[in-house]
Formats: sequence, structure tokens, C-alpha cells
Amino acid sequence: MSLLELKNISKIYGELKALDNINLSVDNGEWVAIMGPSGSGKSTMMNIIGCMDKPSMGEVLLDGVDIARESAKNLTAIRRDKIGLIFQQFHLVNYLTAVENVMVAQYYHSIPDEKEAMEALERVGLAERARHLPSQLSGGEQQRVCIARALINHPEIVLADEPTGNLDEANENIVLDLFHQLHEEHTTLIVVTHDPEVAEVAQRTITLDHGRIKSDLINENFGK
Amino acid sequence: MSKRKMFFKMITASLVRRRSRMLVALLAIAVGATILSGLVTIYIDVPRQMGAEMRNYGANMIFMASSNEAVFDRAAVEKGAALIPPDQVVGVSPYRYETVRIHEQPVVAAGTDIEQVRTTSPYWMIEGDWPSVTGDMLVGQDVAESLGLGVGDTVNVMSSDDSKEKDSEDLLNLGVDMKITGLLDTGGSEENYVYIAMEDLEGLVGPGELDVAELSISATADELSKYVDTIDAEVEEVTPRLVKRVTESESTVLTKLQALVFLVTAVVLVLTMICVATTMAAVVAERRKEIGLRKALGASDSSIIREFMGEGLLLGLVGGIVGAILGFLFAQFVSVRVFASSITFQPLMLPVTIIVSILITGAACLFPVRNATKIDPALVLKGE
Ligand SMILES: Nc1ncnc2c1ncn2[C@@H]1O[C@H](COP(=O)(O)OP(=O)(O)OP(=O)(O)O)[C@@H](O)[C@H]1O
Ligand SMILES: [Mg+2]
Repeated sequence: MSLLELKNISKIYGELKALDNINLSVDNGEWVAIMGPSGSGKSTMMNIIGCMDKPSMGEVLLDGVDIARESAKNLTAIRRDKIGLIFQQFHLVNYLTAVENVMVAQYYHSIPDEKEAMEALERVGLAERARHLPSQLSGGEQQRVCIARALINHPEIVLADEPTGNLDEANENIVLDLFHQLHEEHTTLIVVTHDPEVAEVAQRTITLDHGRIKSDLINENFGK
Repeated sequence: MSKRKMFFKMITASLVRRRSRMLVALLAIAVGATILSGLVTIYIDVPRQMGAEMRNYGANMIFMASSNEAVFDRAAVEKGAALIPPDQVVGVSPYRYETVRIHEQPVVAAGTDIEQVRTTSPYWMIEGDWPSVTGDMLVGQDVAESLGLGVGDTVNVMSSDDSKEKDSEDLLNLGVDMKITGLLDTGGSEENYVYIAMEDLEGLVGPGELDVAELSISATADELSKYVDTIDAEVEEVTPRLVKRVTESESTVLTKLQALVFLVTAVVLVLTMICVATTMAAVVAERRKEIGLRKALGASDSSIIREFMGEGLLLGLVGGIVGAILGFLFAQFVSVRVFASSITFQPLMLPVTIIVSILITGAACLFPVRNATKIDPALVLKGE
């Protein structure tokens, strides 16, 4: 059984069909890239998968549970336990240090553990900058804090919306290396990107257009 | 690290590291708390201050003889005064009026306790000095004028009976020589008498009952009427009365002051609440992204409420502490300016001010914080 299954999903804003009858299934441990022009519905789909929004129609099965029918309270719990989020704008809490930002995710999930948070920062190569505020970190460093925060609670799925959109080449490579490591560890990854280079390294690339799936391709060169 | 520790770390970091925004709210709370604690401190202390002020206008209670057979003397007065807490009794002046003769003229002499008179009639103006030993005499202006007396004169005072039997000069009917130490100027009927020590009067006319005793008591109007009732019931020799002019004006002023303090305090508290509510609403708006993020990370509505309320209540606590201290200084300043005396520190005002400012801040935060829970976590994926 697949980890995630979208069945006939639509999201309608007034006249606009941001998502139009999407069918998609993602297996456990898969690394999927989602591409498409601006306004094609990529973020809308990520919000639904990430339990932050509900579809207007259709079913979303996550681990066999239809999250489209869950209460807001249960969605919060599912999000907390199963989903790790990485954003284009990083969204770090600006008055907390790097390590404190990672601990915020632990705080909502279970119990803050500074040692574990430090290990997560070490993993993304930021141990020495753990006591800095976001304003004292570069964009690439902030994104790595965001990744450390997304990983700290060992989520089943990591959702990344344009994770490299604000990064230069060098930082982009650091982030892609981390994605490779996550994939090795069988974490399911769904990455929205405009950048063909970022899409290329994924196992599978889905392209959206006007809220529909235009293509769904397996990357023949994956892992080579 | 425990969850609680992380909680406090987050809310203190938010206040400390985002100083500029929170400073406005803190200032509002501190100013509100200052005015609250200052005014209430003054309000609590004013009856005492006012009492002292009003004492300057003279005695506020008098004892008179009862219509029964009981003897109204100094012992009776002491018995009555003993029913009033000693620390509230400022002074007790007994008076006995008898006609004597000076320069062959009849004059009313008041025998009293000069030391006590100085406390019960602090407004008396004396030309010369207060009498200090027996044999000294204080003379009212009117008497002095009609008899041609002046400070430093020594006059012969005789009982009026003595002068009638002037021919039998054998006994002690020569009268007593007394020295005038001062002239009394009050603008009132007091100027028609001469004042001498009770012992001197008894030496002249023999022992007898008192006519009246004046008391100056440092107590509220309510307490005073309570004392009157007790003394009336328990001491049959004495009929106590309040000097209405003094006690009534005191309680009218107090009632007006009370209304004013409540009004000003209420207005200030409402203004503080509006200011805090506005600031918190701005803070919530400013931190929409952060709130969305926290929710995206799995924060429940109740955690969001806890955190923002925590920040608000912490502000209330700090503002309350600052306000309680500044409020005392403010009250002290006003007291010294208005009453020229320093204020009594009210230890209870400290916790009261802090709790009230926490409650006010909490109430002011309710709406903004409720709005915070309505923020959509999906906004973190919206590029802006
Ligand atoms: N809350 C909303 N209300 C109305 N329309 C919305 C809302 N959210 C998204 N849309 C619309 O839905 C469509 C899809 O938006 P979405 O954010 O998913 O695009 P996207 O593929 O992520 O684009 P981009 O690459 O620019 O991020 C857009 O036309 C957008 O204007
Ligand atoms: Mg988008």
C-alpha cells in the first residue's frame, strides 16, 4: 500500500479550480519532485498533503487515513507527528536562536531536548552557529536550520516548497546532499521546484498545469 | 529541558529580544499601575492626613455633664476618654468656668490643663507665651482691653465670694497674684475669658464639677460616632457629642475624594486596557507568519493561547511591579506637596497592584489572542 494517495482531488476558489481532479499515489521512501508554472497549484497541493488545508472534493489517504475528513484538531496532531516542512522563506522564529528554533518543533511534538537539537544542527553542519539568531545567519544557513527543524521529530514525509528558491549554487548543493541522505534513510520526500536541476536528482517528476497533472515521469538516471 | 522551561524561554525571549514593540505595552501597563497604586495609596492614607489637617480646626468631640446625679469631674472625663484607643487620642482638655474678680471687675475664669489645650485648640493665637506653671495666666483680648491688662503684668485674682465679704480680712481672702504670660486672640468668644491652671482655680473657689471637656481624636467620622455611642452607653457621668462642623466637613470631603479616585482609576484602567489590547492586536498581526508557522509545526490552539497569554501576563507582572514602586513614589510626592507629610507605605498595595495589572492585561489580551488562533497555518507556504 502506498503511503500517500490522492483520489479525485479538487480545490476550488470561487470560479478558479486551483486543483482539478488530481489522482496521485506516492510510495513510502519515494523522492518526488513537483514542477509547473506559477499558479499551477503546487503549493495548494502541498498544503493539502501537509494537513494545513482540505480539498473541496476527493479523498486524501495518508497511512490509510482519509485526512480530508479529519477535524482541524486531528489534522494538527497528524501534522505534528508525520510531517516535516521546509519553506522557501525558511520561517524561523526571529527572536529565537538556531537551536531554540529546532527545539520549538520538539516542544510542540513532545519534549524539548537540547542535545538532540544540537545533533540535528551538527548534521546540517551548523553546530558552531547554534546560538545565533536568524538575523545573524546567511540564507543558506537559515535554510539548514529549517531542515534540521523539519527532521527533528523523524517525520514520515518531508514536504519542501521551493527549498532552494532563495539559495545560491553552493547552498543549493548542500541542501540537495541532505535530501540524498534523507532518501538513503527511506524518508519520503516531496519537493516543489522551478529548478530543473533540483527536479533532475529526484526519483520521479510530476508536472502540474492549471491544476491538472500534465506529466508523471520516472527519472531513468536516478542514482547514477 | 522540560516543556515548562522551554515555554518560559520562548515567552521571555519574545519580550526581551523584541523589546521595542513590547516596551509600548509595558509602558502603558506601568503607567496604569502607577496611577492605580498611587491614587489608592493616597486614598487610603488621606483620612489619616485629613484627620491631622482637620485637628487643626479644633476639637472634634466634647464631653458634657449628664442630666443625672452623677458627678462630672476629671475622673469621669478620663473614664470616658479611656474607651477611645490611646493612640488615637490627640488631646483632652477639661474646662471649668467660674466667675472671679480682677481689679474689682467680674471676669469668667476657665480652669483647664494648658498643655492639653495646646493640642485641642492648635489654632489659638497667643501674643506672648503660653502659661507654663501654676500662677501663670492667659488673658482673652477682650478682657485685656476692658481691664487695661498687658503681657507681663501681675494681677490680683479673687474669688467673687471673697470680694463680697471684704470686711472679714482675716482668712485667705486676699486673692492670688497671677502673672499674665500671654494674650489670646481667636476672633471668637474665647477672648472673653481668662485661662488659668485647674489647680489655681480650685485654690480660688474650691473643688467642683467641670462644665465641659474638649477632645481631639484622630479617627474617621465613622469611628468617632462609634466612640460616642460606646461612651454614652458605658459612662453615665458623661454625655459625649461630636463637633459636627469638623467631623462632617471631613466626611463630605472624603466622600467626594473617594468618588474622584474611583472615577480616575476606572478611566485609567480602561485606557490601559485599550492601549494593551491595541498593542497586542498589532503584535498578533505582526507575527501572523510566526503563528502560522507554530501551527504548521503542530501547535494546538490552546498552545497558541497559552504562549500569547503568557507573554501578556508576564508583561502585566513586570508592569505591575514597576507600577507598584512608581505608584508609591508618586503618592509620596503628592502627599508631601499637598499635605506636607510623608505617606504610610501600604504593603498590601504591592500584591494588589500586581494582581490587578495582571488581570487587566489578561482581559486586554483576550480578543487579540483569540484572533491569533484563527490564523491559517497554510499561509506559511504562500510566497509573499
Ligand atoms: N486562498 C486562496 N484564495 C483564492 N485563490 C487562491 C488561494 N490560494 C491560492 N489561490 C489560487 O490558486 C492558484 C494556485 O495557487 P498555488 O499557490 O498553489 O500556486 P503555485 O503553483 O504554488 O504557484 P507558485 O509557483 O507561484 O508558488 C493560484 O491561481 C492562486 O491565485
Ligand atoms: Mg507556491
